[in-house]
Amino acid sequence: MSAPSVEKGIQAIKAQIDAPVASFFSACVHCGLCAEACLFYTETGDPKYTPINKVEPMRRIWEKEYTLFGKAKAAFGMSKAVDEETFAEWETLVYDGCSLCGRCSLVCPVGNDISGMIRKIREGFAAAGHAPEGLIGASTRAVEIGSPMGVKLPAVQAQIKHLRKNTGLDVPIDAKGAEYLVLLSSMEIMNFPEYLEAIARIMYQAGKTWTIASKAFEATNSGVQIGVSDIAKLLVSRVVDAADELGVKTVISPECGHAFTAIRWDGANLIGREYGFEVKHILEVLDEFVSQGLIKTEGKEDAKLTYHDPCQIARKGGVVKQPRNLLNKIATNFVEMEDGGVMNWCCSGGGGVSANERADELKLTAFNRKKSQLQALGVDTLVTACANCRLTLEEGLEENEMDLPVVGLTEMLAEYLVEEKPIEEAKEEA
Amino acid sequence: MSISNDIEFRDALNGLDLAQQREVGALFVESVLSLSSDPRVTQAVNAAKDGALEEEAMNLVRHSIKVAALHAHTRCGADGEWNDQAGYFVARAAEACVEPEGRSQGKGPAWKAAMSARMACTCLAAEGDEDSHDSESQTQYQILTSYLDA
Amino acid sequence: MDANELLSWARGPGFDIALTIFVAGMLLRLLEILALGKKPDLSPPRGSGPKGGAATIMTRMLPRKQVFDKEPLRIINGYVLHIGFFIVLFLYGPHIVLFESFLGFGWPALPSGVIDAVGAITIVSLVAALVLRLNNKVLRFLSSRDDYVAWVVTLLPVLTGYLAYNHLVAPYTMMLALHLLSVELLLVVAPFTKLTHMFSFAMARWYQGYQAGRRGVES
Repeated sequence: MSAPSVEKGIQAIKAQIDAPVASFFSACVHCGLCAEACLFYTETGDPKYTPINKVEPMRRIWEKEYTLFGKAKAAFGMSKAVDEETFAEWETLVYDGCSLCGRCSLVCPVGNDISGMIRKIREGFAAAGHAPEGLIGASTRAVEIGSPMGVKLPAVQAQIKHLRKNTGLDVPIDAKGAEYLVLLSSMEIMNFPEYLEAIARIMYQAGKTWTIASKAFEATNSGVQIGVSDIAKLLVSRVVDAADELGVKTVISPECGHAFTAIRWDGANLIGREYGFEVKHILEVLDEFVSQGLIKTEGKEDAKLTYHDPCQIARKGGVVKQPRNLLNKIATNFVEMEDGGVMNWCCSGGGGVSANERADELKLTAFNRKKSQLQALGVDTLVTACANCRLTLEEGLEENEMDLPVVGLTEMLAEYLVEEKPIEEAKEEA
Repeated sequence: MSISNDIEFRDALNGLDLAQQREVGALFVESVLSLSSDPRVTQAVNAAKDGALEEEAMNLVRHSIKVAALHAHTRCGADGEWNDQAGYFVARAAEACVEPEGRSQGKGPAWKAAMSARMACTCLAAEGDEDSHDSESQTQYQILTSYLDA
Repeated sequence: MDANELLSWARGPGFDIALTIFVAGMLLRLLEILALGKKPDLSPPRGSGPKGGAATIMTRMLPRKQVFDKEPLRIINGYVLHIGFFIVLFLYGPHIVLFESFLGFGWPALPSGVIDAVGAITIVSLVAALVLRLNNKVLRFLSSRDDYVAWVVTLLPVLTGYLAYNHLVAPYTMMLALHLLSVELLLVVAPFTKLTHMFSFAMARWYQGYQAGRRGVES
């Protein structure tokens, strides 16, 4: 990345303005309903977090550069500038005060995709040198090391080795012609390694061939979070190249919200060509396995539990029914929180917010929304399917002295997995 | 009785009642205690071994170790330090030992403690040459065997 | 200039100029949007873009329960405002005659008395909208000169029309002239304010709906 500057920032934002963006600014009537959908506004009461306000710098640039009237206004000195001060002032709105959750986009009466615009405007902020430190560090590590948290292949190999010892199951690396390429997020590798074990056991029972790629085991895309398409493209390319090289049919995105958005929706557009493989979220795959009878479950969890929809997976990813299908198979007392499903509220830590230390306090305030949802419901367990949501929820719950365990859905499913092919057998084969 | 693999290990653990699982779990954690410098871990281990501890005191310990585990994890996008991360898994193991009854989601507290303890060893293997995971499994088998024989 | 001359001008050259500016201005805004283009989405689709786009134009007509519950008064008032305005504009006899002269066809009118009542309601609704805007923290923060200008130019035609019909404030000829002039003001100003939303709302809904339809996600 070359040296940042305000000029570069403005150019980057200009480049992001397309017909949809122009139509959005043109249609906005300042109704303010987007604020009512945004947890950063509802929990702080500060109108500056109104979603459409977060993209005001982009609006100014659009008006001045792409409308005759705006150009005329500028000629008469009647347009508001976008300068260093603007970037400085809006930085915390664009990064700290927005998790790219997309709720605003769903409620805008004129149909504006506001969260999409916020993602776009981040390109300008990053280019202007106004991205949060935590995200800069994560992206740099992702580019140089291959993981935003500095996880290297030997770490994954160590976990694989020990998985083999514990379960007798092998995790294939770089297996050509495997049906599935499984991606992992650094958060899972470091904090929830049970995920890998769950995958291994499930894949074994389903009788499916799978592999991870030594050159592209990382799913997390820091480029998408910070808003630097070049980095996002580089990270996605690693996965695409590996998938092509290994000739897999389907790439599986793990329980990480933005990883799914990056590989499923952004990837092809970042690299400029269509994929030669499918991309599915792990929950889609599990739901398929269950409905096709490839894996069976036995026994059920009796605790009263509910499901938190990760924004990128449910609202933006369209994976809403699948986790519910799965939970209904392994839980007797699954209740929905209010606004559950497509309109669920963000955990407060998505879109790079949890990686941004400066945003910690704001994040905890925004978490009060989720807290209200949970308090109204009164459950014993909270299930979700995103490693980042998990930790954000745990932290928020702890801060509010709420004793509520949070579990990952894939892990939970694996606990009730019927292991018809005894692993003992696998041990002997191993 | 001798335990030589995880199937036998888990079966034996499932045969224990809650108090026994906590005691054995505590032993598993003690075996990897050197990987954590958090005094709350020791506190949790002691509480797990103390069968006579009142529920209220236990709740205080639970809260304390939960916080310890939570704060020990690596933040999303942060530069991960595997040696520190080992401390996270030790705290998780200790947390499992004192978790309230009925929190299993299919796994018993002793099993959870054992797995987390092993993951702590895996962390060390991630960075360095030291790979004590397999020997830790063996150690756990021996701990359980001795416990059952006693 | 007396009232008759003013009215003549407003009915004649005034209207032509205003309409030309309105059409040219709106077309310009439309082209400014379309000219920017949109890159094709290469991600593997789950559903149909066009279906999503078309559907979203319709579905966004109604609010989601979650926001409606938060601002029921303001949202309902918005409907009253828009529907009232359209009824007065499109279903009043003399207006239909005007449309007919351009389009070559007309349609049935509502009784003038009904229009009169609807007009009054619309005026109240517009005033209420301003009051609600000024009394809302978010809206006070967001609102710019553009919002207030748009409000004024929208209110004036409805107000002057009502006053003319009811022979209030000024003699009929003058009031009618003022009514036409206020309409011309609206036409001339509209392309340069948020009133462009009268056309761009469909584009915005279409674009977002298209992407959502393609991705198989809700919109």
